[in-house]
Amino acid sequence: MIALGLEGSANKLGVGLISHPAKGGAAHILSNIRHTFISPPGEGFLPKDTAKHHRSWIIRLVKQAMKEAGLRVEDIDCICYTKGPGMGAPLQSVAVAARMLGLLWAKKLVGVNHCVGHIEMGREITGAQNPVVLYVSGGNTQVIAYASQRYRIFGEALDIAVGNCLDRFARTLRISNDPAPGYNIEQMAKHGRHLVDLPYAVKGMDCSFSGILASIDILAEKLEAHRGQWKDELTNEVITREDLCFSLQETVYAMLVEITERAMAHVGSSQVLVVGGVGSNERLQEMMGMMARDRRGTVFATDERFCIDNGIMIAHAGLLAYEKGSITALEDSTCTQRFRTDEVFVKWRE
Amino acid sequence: MAFLQSLNLAHIPPDLAVHIALYADVQNAPFLRDQLLQGSPAFEYALIDATVILSTTHVLAAVFRAANDHLNGRLRSRNVHSEIVFSLGANNNIAQSLRTFGITATTTDLLAIKLSTNPSITASTVSEHLAASVNGTPVEFSDATLAKMADGGKIRKLYKLSGVGEADSKGKRRRKDGSEEGSGGVDGIKAGSTGYDAERERKELEVAILGLMALRGAV
Amino acid sequence: MEITNNDPPQPHPLPPPFTHTAPAPTLLTQGAEALLYRTHFLLPSHPCALKHRPSKPYRHPVLDKRLTKHRILSEARTLVKCRREGVSVPGVLALDAEGCGDAGSGGWMMMEWVEGRTVKEVVVEAGKRIKERGGGGVWEEGLRALMGKIGRALGRMHEVGVVHGDLTTSNMMLRPSPTSLQNGTTFTNGAEGDGDDAKSAGESLEGEIVLIDFGLAAQSLQDEDKAVDLYVLERAFGSTHPEAEEGFQEVLRVYGESYKGAKVVLKRLEDVRLRGRKRSMLG
Repeated sequence: MIALGLEGSANKLGVGLISHPAKGGAAHILSNIRHTFISPPGEGFLPKDTAKHHRSWIIRLVKQAMKEAGLRVEDIDCICYTKGPGMGAPLQSVAVAARMLGLLWAKKLVGVNHCVGHIEMGREITGAQNPVVLYVSGGNTQVIAYASQRYRIFGEALDIAVGNCLDRFARTLRISNDPAPGYNIEQMAKHGRHLVDLPYAVKGMDCSFSGILASIDILAEKLEAHRGQWKDELTNEVITREDLCFSLQETVYAMLVEITERAMAHVGSSQVLVVGGVGSNERLQEMMGMMARDRRGTVFATDERFCIDNGIMIAHAGLLAYEKGSITALEDSTCTQRFRTDEVFVKWRE
Repeated sequence: MAFLQSLNLAHIPPDLAVHIALYADVQNAPFLRDQLLQGSPAFEYALIDATVILSTTHVLAAVFRAANDHLNGRLRSRNVHSEIVFSLGANNNIAQSLRTFGITATTTDLLAIKLSTNPSITASTVSEHLAASVNGTPVEFSDATLAKMADGGKIRKLYKLSGVGEADSKGKRRRKDGSEEGSGGVDGIKAGSTGYDAERERKELEVAILGLMALRGAV
Repeated sequence: MEITNNDPPQPHPLPPPFTHTAPAPTLLTQGAEALLYRTHFLLPSHPCALKHRPSKPYRHPVLDKRLTKHRILSEARTLVKCRREGVSVPGVLALDAEGCGDAGSGGWMMMEWVEGRTVKEVVVEAGKRIKERGGGGVWEEGLRALMGKIGRALGRMHEVGVVHGDLTTSNMMLRPSPTSLQNGTTFTNGAEGDGDDAKSAGESLEGEIVLIDFGLAAQSLQDEDKAVDLYVLERAFGSTHPEAEEGFQEVLRVYGESYKGAKVVLKRLEDVRLRGRKRSMLG
């Protein structure tokens, strides 16, 4: 069976086509393309502008994906779209496109939970059987483990998502949003050496990032005010913007690894799967690897094609549900900004 | 001088032996204190006023901490012996701890401790030097002797532990589960003997003190 | 992409000064961030527990040292406070929050050894006995009394402004009181004539509740935090001892009477039950 997947819960618009062989086995990715709305430095992406971007690109992307995959409309079994969670206006624009295509081509619709899409795609690509999942992106920070038909949230960010914290600090420093603010922070962090003191906010398996963001914003102001004359107390070397990026990364990634490790100990798992846009960060992957080694475990991660929001994951998770008979009726094909990972009944797993 | 005890603390390498002597009726405290203040190398001891020591565990816990910090090269005071006295304190104020727990001009019950920080320091050298220097009656270093010397009220005051394990102002003993004795808890049984109660009280006070020493003011 | 780990895992070495301890400390449990050993304090005859928080290689060394120190001291501070205020917890004997060496050995804390069994073990055994014998009887009464003790212990802890953060029946010990050990059974409620059963129920359910593992504890006077504390235990009860869920009502009943303000916390617990541990949040 073949599914078309449409994703647009944030600033990436993704279209994917996937095929699940009838006899089982690995899924075939027929096409996976993406177009990203990039805001100017110092600015975040606003829902209104992002929705406009999605509306103006969706038809082009669907056509291109169909062409790339060499498929005709009649080859497609269902159309999967992101039901939530995410930003309202962009979600709506993609849901409308899905409905329109569904009516035009007379295909069934499947509404997909964005987080479940990430998890299922991660499992499919890496072959991780039953990992603890760290899902980290601009909108979400969750530590998840599967138990009796649900992806249960063991820990999460209690305020803003880790990716949001990084994105907003990139805005403070007026770092470019191209290709992604987090990517540019990562490159700068590679040149940082001094760790400045930031709050460390882990409580059990939960964490919070707004206090850290507030602190590092204040430090950025201090840096600006001192015009390069702010020195490290121990080494007497000048603190740089790169040091701030480095400190921010070291702190928030240590928090993520810690809550992941606690969840692994809690459920007795030795596998960890990192998904979501922030999951493509090499330093996070490296730290996670060091933690896992101490636990005799394994880290699974995907590259940016699957880590960053994409259409193929929506197609994949939607098709898993569709194969078990789940469809979303036209009148139910809404979207929602709030949609917890543990609300989804996972029919397709034991 | 027959009562010098040499012992090894668990976890601490055996070559760092601990030599301890306890004296009653010490007559020359001012002299000993002066030697200490002058930093005379021969008088590098932990000289402690035994009236503020509750038990052997109390003082040995301070020795343990000082020895560990000594082994890790992390002494905060002049040497491992002053560090022992500092380690008895419940805060980070070195001078205050030395004043509070160290020998004073009026000390008569005295605890002298020396660590074998080098091989030339042995039980017999320490024993000889103490015999020649301390003008007092050697007594056994034991919980029983220390209990007789200890000034419970003063110790409680030093560590700000009034009420711990002690009968409270209303005359009722506060029990750990929050109920009050006499209400006939499920345990039902009364110890009956004051000996058991006193022992329990002392243990409770001891553990509270060890906790405060460990925290050293990080409260 | 799979990040494989071909390097052999590093077993955590003991921190100094325990590297030469004889006999060597026995590892009891290994959690996500601490290893718990049984060893002895200053003399081999004085048993104690040793909690080692090893340094985490994935963390920047400066951050690692800061966190280890903070956590050792925070746990010790909570234990010392509890002990002083008459909450039954293991006392702190010694600690080293600094560690040593550039690589960092982490930090450690020695605590009093708590004799007895975990409440989890005790409840499981009592549940089995009750099933064998049918309702009523000494075991059921004993279990009820035990639940009351738990409620009182938690009430006392909350009263002094401490929330545990990780309440489960594995984090509570039932320490036999020295007197009950000396005198055999002291359990008398209707036990006459019940003979051996009463005796074994007495021995098994007697004692004092000691709360342990304050690694996630915090000082708080907020009703919300206390209610979440109780909620976490309620959930743990539900999953570990579904048969003893009725018993949990007794925990709450006694808790409610144990200190001024407890009733308000129980009211708050009802809200927490409705929404779960976490407040609802934006996707």
